[in-house]
Amino acid sequence: MLLKYLFAKNEDIPPGTATIFFGYSSIFWFVIGTGIGSFNAAKLAFPDFVTGTELFAFGHMRQVHVLAVILGWISMAFAMTMMYMTPALGNTKLWSEKLGLWTAMNWNIGLSLGLFLLWMGFTSGREYSDLIWPIDLVVIFGVLLPLGINVWMTIAHRRTQGIYITNWFFGACIFFVIVVFVVGQSAELFNLTGLTEGYLTFWFAHNVLGLWITPVAAAIAYYTIPKLTGNPLYSHRIGHLHFWAIIAFYSTPASHHLLAAPLPEWLKSFASVEGVLILIPAVAFVANILLTMKGRWSMFVENVEIKFSVTGVLLAIPLNMQGGFQQTRAINWYVHGTGWIVAHAHLALLGMSSFLEIAAVYFGLQQMLRRKLYSLALANFHYWFVIIGFCIYWISMTIAGLIQGAGKIYEVPYIDVVIAEHPYMIARWVGGTMVFTGNLVWLYNMYMTAVEGTVVPKGRYAHELAYER
Amino acid sequence: MGWKFDNPLYTLADEEEVNRMIQLWEAEKPGGMWEGNNRLPYPITYLLALIILTAFLITMPIWGQRPTAELYAPMVELMDSPEVQNMATDEEKIAYLTKRAMEVLETSDDSRLPGLLERHPISWLDLQLIAPAIREIASSGGPYGLESYNVIGDQVVLANFEGNWREDGLRERVQPWWDKGFTIDVFYVTYFIIAMVIVCKRLPPYQRKPDMSKV
Repeated sequence: MLLKYLFAKNEDIPPGTATIFFGYSSIFWFVIGTGIGSFNAAKLAFPDFVTGTELFAFGHMRQVHVLAVILGWISMAFAMTMMYMTPALGNTKLWSEKLGLWTAMNWNIGLSLGLFLLWMGFTSGREYSDLIWPIDLVVIFGVLLPLGINVWMTIAHRRTQGIYITNWFFGACIFFVIVVFVVGQSAELFNLTGLTEGYLTFWFAHNVLGLWITPVAAAIAYYTIPKLTGNPLYSHRIGHLHFWAIIAFYSTPASHHLLAAPLPEWLKSFASVEGVLILIPAVAFVANILLTMKGRWSMFVENVEIKFSVTGVLLAIPLNMQGGFQQTRAINWYVHGTGWIVAHAHLALLGMSSFLEIAAVYFGLQQMLRRKLYSLALANFHYWFVIIGFCIYWISMTIAGLIQGAGKIYEVPYIDVVIAEHPYMIARWVGGTMVFTGNLVWLYNMYMTAVEGTVVPKGRYAHELAYER
Repeated sequence: MGWKFDNPLYTLADEEEVNRMIQLWEAEKPGGMWEGNNRLPYPITYLLALIILTAFLITMPIWGQRPTAELYAPMVELMDSPEVQNMATDEEKIAYLTKRAMEVLETSDDSRLPGLLERHPISWLDLQLIAPAIREIASSGGPYGLESYNVIGDQVVLANFEGNWREDGLRERVQPWWDKGFTIDVFYVTYFIIAMVIVCKRLPPYQRKPDMSKV
């Protein structure tokens, strides 16, 4: 249906087409990503599960899961929100629906190819930067740059004098992520090795989290919470503090990922302090959003988008508390290289970030389709499966990480540590599978919304209408 | 872009500029939404100050340092004495030696040492294993003293920390409690605070709220 617009004139493409394309793509990739995650977790919980086939070995599957979630789910959900929030906040139309559609098309094809190659074993071998350089170039020039051009041009053609805070983040973060990709992947492009390669790998990994995955999710909350509650954003000035503190303190501490590496010690000291200071933008963001909720907390129970959004904001608190302190020398010595870090990464990506994006995808698809959600019950099922599944995952992996840390420090034989953490690996699989199940239900619910959802009259919002069934 | 400097902690924007911004906020609803002009609540302001202080205190390299050979030197000196040798169990020996070493370290100029020994106790068997290496380093008169060697398990190795160049062309191996990374941070955070104060004080003062009923 959507593909017929790829060769149509821009004026003939209905507004919201690119949003819908990106929205459904993101949910699809979320299902794929969490499905592979569940499969991988099963391999860790039950070592005899699917053995004997090289392609299904953990080493082949792990990075497919990671990249499907980051570039498929999270980044496409970001693109989806940019396609509808950026023009809405400028009281204008998207600069080019056609460019948006082609970006979504390139994205799906490029990512499918990249993940297939990863699965086949074509990898740069660097965590988070696993894609081989030709695919990196597709991501930079076929995906991120066109997305950026569309967002920047939409902001430039806005009909408001001011620029709302969400658009500051959108415009800036696309610029940042392009720079992060270009510089971060240069290790492979220019065959840099050794410490330089190690540093660039984690410079990329740190900044893709800090200048893309978490701030864009926060930017989304600046839209969804005031929009759905009808309250004004608590404070424009705290928004400034959040935005500039992200740039100042999140872009600088990459070397805190490499405290045990032979980098200059002063650089680690600098990075460690900056790592704690990431709490400044986090506190500003959480305070601004929770104070915006004033008088509307009943919506946390009644409204599924607010439920997801506020949960995401609340998860930002443990995320940044963990993040700030686990990178200090004293604590990192214990938790580095353990499941604690895996738990923390999932708190960032599946916890804080994904919950905010899920809310925005729910809201945006209903708005663009002009259809009310097919089933609130299924949406609530989705929420509870994802939050309970996530908590099981997070808590079990945190405990497993502490066990591994103790094993590492006290030189416990490796096999004893493996045995000790086995129950937590099973819990991890249960939690991950619950998230996957919830997402399958979500995909069904959104498909049914497109097909059978109650039509929303012009000038109304989907969440303002009562359910008909 | 009118500036005024008579009361910089109240606002840095003149009345005309403040009015212009308030009117803009009242006239525009980006995406149908409003923005408030509230200040950061006082408790959160204090929390931010606490975060900055904590960031420096918790990251100093006094925390999480590896034990140096210097910590165990007083133990090695006493371990062959008849007093220690006559003790019945290994536990008694090491408890006695730790107590005596602690007394020595507490009189040292380096105030970190007692805390480091407290966090890095050693067993009698490990002490026996590292003792020859500690004696050799202490007596060799080499370019690095015991303070430059780390004890890792039963090994005594030159610390992998590389600090400033020394006059003899070698590098410092003792991690200082303060290095230039922290100095850079002090300046960086200071510049950030100054920049943020300017940014926020260029906005209308928080006492001036846009009247959204005009929209």
